Formats: sequence, C-alpha cells, structure tokens
Amino acid sequence: MLDAETIRSVEQFLYREARLLDERRFHEWLDLFTDDIHYWMTARTNRYPRSSKAIAIFDADRYTDENAEAADEFGLFDEDIGTLRARVARLDTGMAWAEDPPSRTRHLITNVEVASETQDGGVTVHCNFIVYRSRGETDQDFYVGARQDRLRRIDGEWRISGRRMVLDQNVLTSKNLSIFF
Amino acid sequence: MTAEIAALVDAEHGLISRRIFIEPEIYDMELRQIFARCWLFLCHDSQIPHPGDFMTTYMGEDPILVVRDGAGSVGAFLNVCRHRGNRLCRANDGNAASFICAYHGWTFANDGRLTGVPNLREAYHGDLDRESLGLIPVAQVESYKGLWFATFDPDAPPLREYLGEMAWYIDTFVDRCDGGVEVIATHKWIMPCNWKFPAENFGGDAYHVQWNHLSAVKIGLSRGVTANTHSTQRMVSPGNGHALICVGPDDVGDPPMPEIETYEKEIAAAVRRRLGPRANLINPIVATVFPNFSLLRGTSRTFRVWQPRGPEKTEVRSFVFADKTSPPEVKRAIRQAGIRGFSPSGSFEQDDMDNWQECTQTCRGVVSRRMPINNRMGLGHDRFDPDLGAWVSDYRFSESNQRRFYRRWAELIEAADWGSVGCVTARQVEHA
Repeated sequence: MLDAETIRSVEQFLYREARLLDERRFHEWLDLFTDDIHYWMTARTNRYPRSSKAIAIFDADRYTDENAEAADEFGLFDEDIGTLRARVARLDTGMAWAEDPPSRTRHLITNVEVASETQDGGVTVHCNFIVYRSRGETDQDFYVGARQDRLRRIDGEWRISGRRMVLDQNVLTSKNLSIFF
Repeated sequence: MTAEIAALVDAEHGLISRRIFIEPEIYDMELRQIFARCWLFLCHDSQIPHPGDFMTTYMGEDPILVVRDGAGSVGAFLNVCRHRGNRLCRANDGNAASFICAYHGWTFANDGRLTGVPNLREAYHGDLDRESLGLIPVAQVESYKGLWFATFDPDAPPLREYLGEMAWYIDTFVDRCDGGVEVIATHKWIMPCNWKFPAENFGGDAYHVQWNHLSAVKIGLSRGVTANTHSTQRMVSPGNGHALICVGPDDVGDPPMPEIETYEKEIAAAVRRRLGPRANLINPIVATVFPNFSLLRGTSRTFRVWQPRGPEKTEVRSFVFADKTSPPEVKRAIRQAGIRGFSPSGSFEQDDMDNWQECTQTCRGVVSRRMPINNRMGLGHDRFDPDLGAWVSDYRFSESNQRRFYRRWAELIEAADWGSVGCVTARQVEHA
C-alpha cells in the first residue's frame, strides 16, 4: 500500500507537467522523461463484440475484438527520447506551421490512480485526460483519453519512463495532433 | 450546366476558378459526374485476406461494404439495408457469414443475398421478392496488384484501361518484390478542407516541400529529396488525370532509419530488374490516382483515400504499407516512420492541414472567390516523353500535373458518358 504522501507527490508531478505543456515550456517538459522513455498513443476502432447478433461470424479464428487498442494497428505516437526532442526542436525552427501561431491548450488530468509499486521503486499511474485545444480564430478540439505512466525517482525527483495513451476516437475529428499529451 | 461548370477550369492558361472548392451545387455535380463514375479505391488485399473478411468504406459519400465471400470472391455493395435504408454494417472491419440489420432484422449473406426477413410469410403475405432485394452491388470491382477498386458506372472502361500508363508507376510502390505489400497500420481523421487540395498536392506539389516542410526536413525525419536542389526531380503525368512526383533513379527518398536503408540497399538491384528498364530512368515517390487515391514512398510509406465529406470537409483514410516479405524490424521502422512523418501527428503531415483549410475557407468570400487559383508554373514547358510514357516537366517544380488533374476533372464534369471522355494510354499518344 502506497502512503498518502507518495500518492500526493505523484499527483502534483502530473499537474505540474500539465502546466508546463499549457505554458509551452517544452524543454522543461522534456526534462521530465528518462532517456529510455517509450511514448506511445493509439486511436481506437469500431468492431462488433463477440456477443453481437449483428453479424454471424464466418471464421471464428479470424475474429478480432475490441482489444485492438493494445496493438500497434492504430498508433498515433511511437516515440523515444530522440524523436520527442526532435519534435520539440521542430517547434523551435520558426517554421512549424501547425503550431505557428501556437495552439492554446488546457490539459485536464483526472482519475489519478497510483496503481502499484514496480520492482525498481517506481510506480504505475493511471489517469484520464481531457485536452482542450483552441487554435486560429475559432478552431476547437477536445482530445479525450486514458493514460498509463510508469514513473521512477531519479535523484529524488519523479521521472516518466513509459507513457501509453488511448485516445477515445475511431475517426479523429481533429485535423492534427500537433500538441503533446 | 455541366459545360458552364467545366469552363471554370482554364487548364490551358493554368487558371482555376475557386468556385469549384466551395459551392454545394458543384460539389453535388462532382459526386455524380466523378465519384459515381470513376474507379475508386476500396482497400488492399491484405486487409481482407480470408473468406468472410469484410471492411466498410466509402465511394464518394456512399457507404460501402467490401466483403470476401465464402468462396473467396471480393464483392462491394452499398452498405444500406434494402428495407428502410438503415446502414447495415456499423463496424469498420471483421469477419462475417452474414449481416443482420439492427432496425428490423433483415439478414444479408456476405455475397449480398437477402436471406432473412422476419415475419416474411405472415406480414408480407408471400408478396416480397427476396431475390430482387439483395444488397445493391457496385457496377464493377477489380483489383490491380492487390489494390481493390470499384466503380458505380457499368460503362466505365476496365480498371487496367482507366489506370493506363499509371499502372507501371503503381508497381513501383506496391510490386517491388514477390508478395507485394501489406497494410501494417491505419490512420483516420477529418480535415476541414476540400478533397481536391490534398489530391492535387500529392499529385504534384513538390514546390511546397522546401518551405512548408522545411522544419521536418531540418530535424532529420527525411532526406528531403524533394527539397534537394541536386535531385533530378520531375513532374510526371501518365494521362487520365493521374499524376506523380518522381526523382532520379539514384536519388534516395527513404527515411534515414538504418533498418530501412540496409533493407533498401539489399533489394535495390532486384527491384530494378523486376520493374524493368524505366526504373533506371526514374524513381516515383508520391502520386495521385485520379480522383482521390494517393500513394507515398518518400519519408513515409502510405496510401490513402481523400473521402469527400461536403465541399469543406475531407476524411482521410491512410494506410501504412510495407513489402510483405520484409523482415519484422523493417516493418516496425516503416510503421514508426509512418507515424512520425505522415499521420495526424506526423511532423510533415500536420503542417499541410492549415494550408488546405485556409485555401478552402477563403473561398467563402464572394469577392475572394472571384480570384482564380494560379497554376501557371512551367506553362508550356512540359513535353511527352515516350520512355516514361507520360507528359513530363523536367524542372524540379512545375504545376503541369495540377493542370492535367483539373483538366481531367473538367472533362468528366462536362462529359455525358464515358464514350465522350475515354481513357488514353501512352502508346496511343505515341502512335497518334
């Protein structure tokens, strides 16, 4: 059982990260990741559950169900520390047009559940997010999903060593994902 | 009426009226004259490999159910129940022997036959002709090198004729080795733009890469071959509105990832042998098959459909593909290059959206609409090249492909039937 103080420190860490993103302090944000970070996001899909009466399955072995979001089939981010840094470096070129003028974002982090302690003294954290993005004159996007982070302490500070996100859309209604989550 | 709309495209002078990107009447005309008549991409063989596999997609705005039936034949039907017009199948894909409508339970076999109607005898008094009420099939379905296409027009020329000389160019994307390619990832999203902007961009806008995409080139995602002043880049139009950007045979457009580079070096000689002598002249990297199917091999490997959703909206369905026989680490690298380059989060692709959105939305102004699009670059400087079987602009940038794309659009808008528009092959041009 994790103590309240640890849970609170994890929550504060996530809120601070969200603020760094909303304030576009991307270099400070990058410092929150370990060098072995795997940063991953997938969309979802639209399939009949096995119990559905809408189809008569022809070949049961060919049936793939709603667990598709665990696979790479619909991946939207698949990044390591090098490619995350490259994405931030792109924003510094003055020619990253999707973010110039910049998006206005608000990252809301909720349902924080510090699930378990891992072998290395780290924690696994589940949370939900809503990211509001306003851009241009009246463009608006809501990116809603779930996140699972692996955190470990380096020199007493939490750092993110793994991030897996599921975005709850099949066809994304946003024109792009030019922001970070 | 159609002649008047067709006249909005002055391909000879490279001036395109912006009315064609915004006016609902013209959009409806496109759906009828272009999307209900042309060969449109459905899916790749690898997405429905086994009996019973199905996928749902669109042809224009018509919902389509593509099915491989129990005998292995591929059919495409309107995904619309014959009773009240409800959408029959609501899933993206799966495997089914039959589909049962959620409204009243009418059942259709995966070959389209209506096999079940609740209360048939009592309620219809034996007066329902089930045989005539199967799912409405498209007029023709054919595949080319694993790519399935369909048309609603029974009089459309055969697919191979429609593709014409473009067929060889498609080979350079999907038929480089035995087994062809397979789809390894899918991206779907909505863009607030007219479908023609992405279609013409993939078919010939090399010009924008060196500026609009320079930030992505600078961070090392791509070799930036289209932005490289030393590449021998050409615009290539094999006819019938199809269009490509090609670089020289020794210019490398692949993403700078070691797995991909090593693999490409290993297969290079065999690929050239397979594709034939033309592969020693030219290396296609991005293309549009008229009207709305594009293929990309530089930086990322995807083919995608630009599905029209009204004049101001496009749904992209993009599929990352890899050579089927390539090793798993190569497929993984290609999938990552696809996500990082050309997907909603892609560092190349995300910078295209605002341009296409604003090119569309500024057409709303009635005065802005009077200003034509300027597609005059390289006017009078393209020529027919018999070795390439295509009309070619030799300088790195030209809008010759856009002019041919819109000329084809106008021809189809005006034509009453396929007989008056037809398809050309390069051989026909050469012998004329």
